Amino acid sequence: MANNTFDAIVVGSGISGGWAAKELTEKGLKVLMLERGRMLEHVKDYVNTTKDVWDFPHRDAATQQMKKDYPVLRRDYPLNESTFGMWANEKDCPYTETKRFDWYRGYHLGGRSLLWGRQSYRWNKWDFEANAKEGIGVDWPIRYDDLAPWYSYAEKFAGIQGTKEGLDVLPDGEFLPGMEMNVVEKDLAAKLKTQFGGKRHMFIGRSANITQPKPEQGRVNCQYRNRCWRGCPFGAYFSTQSATLPAANATGNLTLETDKIVTKVLYDKDKKRATGVEVIDTHDNKTYTFNAKIIFLCASAFNSTWILMNSATDIWPEGLGSASGELGHNIMDHHLKNGAGGTVEGFEDKYLYGRRPTGIYIPRFRNIYDDKRDYLRGFGYQGGAGRGRGVDIAEFSIGAELKESLSEPGKWHFSIMGFGEILPDHSNKMTLNKNVKDKWGLPVLDFDVEMKQNELNMRKDMMNDAAEMCNAIGVKDVNTFDYGYNVGMGIHEMGTARMGRDPKTSVLNGNNQVWDAPNVFVTDGACMTSASCVNPSLTYMALTARAADFAVSELKKQNL
Amino acid sequence: MDRRELLKMIAVVTGGAVVGGELFLTGCKSGAGIVAEFNADTLAFLDEVAETIIPATATPGAKAAKVAEFMKLFVNDCYEEKDQKAFLDGIPKLNEASKKANKKDFMEASPEDRKALLISLDKESKAYMQAKTAADPTHYFMLMKQLTLLGFFTSKTGATETLRHIQVPGHYDGAYPYKKGDKAWSE
Repeated sequence: MANNTFDAIVVGSGISGGWAAKELTEKGLKVLMLERGRMLEHVKDYVNTTKDVWDFPHRDAATQQMKKDYPVLRRDYPLNESTFGMWANEKDCPYTETKRFDWYRGYHLGGRSLLWGRQSYRWNKWDFEANAKEGIGVDWPIRYDDLAPWYSYAEKFAGIQGTKEGLDVLPDGEFLPGMEMNVVEKDLAAKLKTQFGGKRHMFIGRSANITQPKPEQGRVNCQYRNRCWRGCPFGAYFSTQSATLPAANATGNLTLETDKIVTKVLYDKDKKRATGVEVIDTHDNKTYTFNAKIIFLCASAFNSTWILMNSATDIWPEGLGSASGELGHNIMDHHLKNGAGGTVEGFEDKYLYGRRPTGIYIPRFRNIYDDKRDYLRGFGYQGGAGRGRGVDIAEFSIGAELKESLSEPGKWHFSIMGFGEILPDHSNKMTLNKNVKDKWGLPVLDFDVEMKQNELNMRKDMMNDAAEMCNAIGVKDVNTFDYGYNVGMGIHEMGTARMGRDPKTSVLNGNNQVWDAPNVFVTDGACMTSASCVNPSLTYMALTARAADFAVSELKKQNL
Repeated sequence: MDRRELLKMIAVVTGGAVVGGELFLTGCKSGAGIVAEFNADTLAFLDEVAETIIPATATPGAKAAKVAEFMKLFVNDCYEEKDQKAFLDGIPKLNEASKKANKKDFMEASPEDRKALLISLDKESKAYMQAKTAADPTHYFMLMKQLTLLGFFTSKTGATETLRHIQVPGHYDGAYPYKKGDKAWSE
């Protein structure tokens, strides 16, 4: 590797890393992007994108061998034939669980930007104020107004479809035309508004699927296939491959190296600055060093912190950023998998055409304005209405009649599932387990995280409120469900290197700089000081763009 | 109509969660599995069972959809050992039931007799599944019916000829007209 010196190094190529690379290269920096996983080229490497279900031998089910090889992934829906090969190899990359922790990782170029649910919501002003008001964790060093212009900036580039609702609880953004609610959802949304005095709202789930072409990015609008998880040949949803990477490449300033695991940030204790990173090549196991003036850690929440834990240990035994005592602590996710649903009568003369890649959203209504519960914070719902399949007629159990009755659409149904906020708690932590090593001899992470009383109390409301709303809007045969949530299943890992106002209690400052190494920025989920109840990726985009802008201006002022 | 809807439908009409479908099942042990023998006779037998459940009508049936081949693959690769055993033990059991009811091997029985037999086995399996304890094996006929429905409706012919399928819809219509007799979408 002839040239190993750059202006900036970006570690990781997922949603945050892609944004860091785009912003820094567009501002003229020579950037090296390091990805631990394999190369995965846009369109060309989406091997399953045009397949139909019959093209998968087991019709998209997981085999016993897959379950054996992926003991974590099999705990929930991600293990299937159509996304197989898009998740971290669990034999090569193990972790340990003092308490069960579900960690679903994407180790390849683009990371989970290729696998995400694409739901894109702004945080509200209360989300940034709640910690301080309630005495939970530490105060966010920023407020909604600090991030609002960066939300707009991120939304315009990424392409977020949605409708403006004028709600404080879920601020509007710069939307492309919203996808349509179906006939049943529209009817139920109107009833919800009436039944709850205009205080509860249902509208189309805002998502990073474009509803108008973006020719400047070479992206075509959504074709309603709903096969986003296999990679979109139209580039219709936001991913590193479809959006940020082409933009970064277009500057001529990006160097991309895949198959390189960053093992540590190199630290100069006299200058109190990072000088670069050390990497292991995953194929030849050789160690290389790359130097840069600034480093963006965007390796996914826990891996960014893992790198910090392995860095500057001669000065801080627990790693760079550990002087606060908070590195690795305050793990958060969104708890989910409970809610309610039932059938909807009527609308037999209506059906659906096309497969919409988003559902409906019901924003938080608990613990805002004059509502007060026996727990803090709240939850939103995602769900939707659809028409089931097959008419079950007991006497048509075998033969032509069965075939006929199962070939018709069934009744309409509607269901919603909650997404609840988890509070930051110092005792919810991860540590380095040096007794267990990965394929490259690197120590692995150990998780010690559990749901606390606040979340458990909230969960009761989350399920009961769902049933109450379903009943109120005329859904029939309402059933509540709780499929069982374990921390991590939200695949919204947050915390472990939180932002704050004081180096004694936080790892990062208000510009995502590591207090002890101001030229190291952490802008992925690790930086989160609290979790809100809305999907986090849009916030990572905004925080990353904001931090990159700050980093370049500081670099120009020679402050870094 | 997604995979989840299909698995739900099959669960409703067979009286039990789809084995190997694992809609929301977490944390169960993975079995080492036995590789089951499916010789030509077995496949022919299963094809006839499947065709009785989903026959050719105006559109092709289970045999045309190669459901027996799918059963072989799914039982071998996706079932746990106890369900593999229940399925395999079910093949002679079904034939015995045919001899008892119709005095003929299943393969020799008329289509009408086969259908009547499977209707009674369907009742038997639903009653058994309701009454059984967790330790009792799954009823073989529930497994055969589940795999027939899963294999057929996810086959090319099932999805495109018996049902409707559009690979690239291009747009969305949330109030698309429907009249009785129009087929469901395959997904």
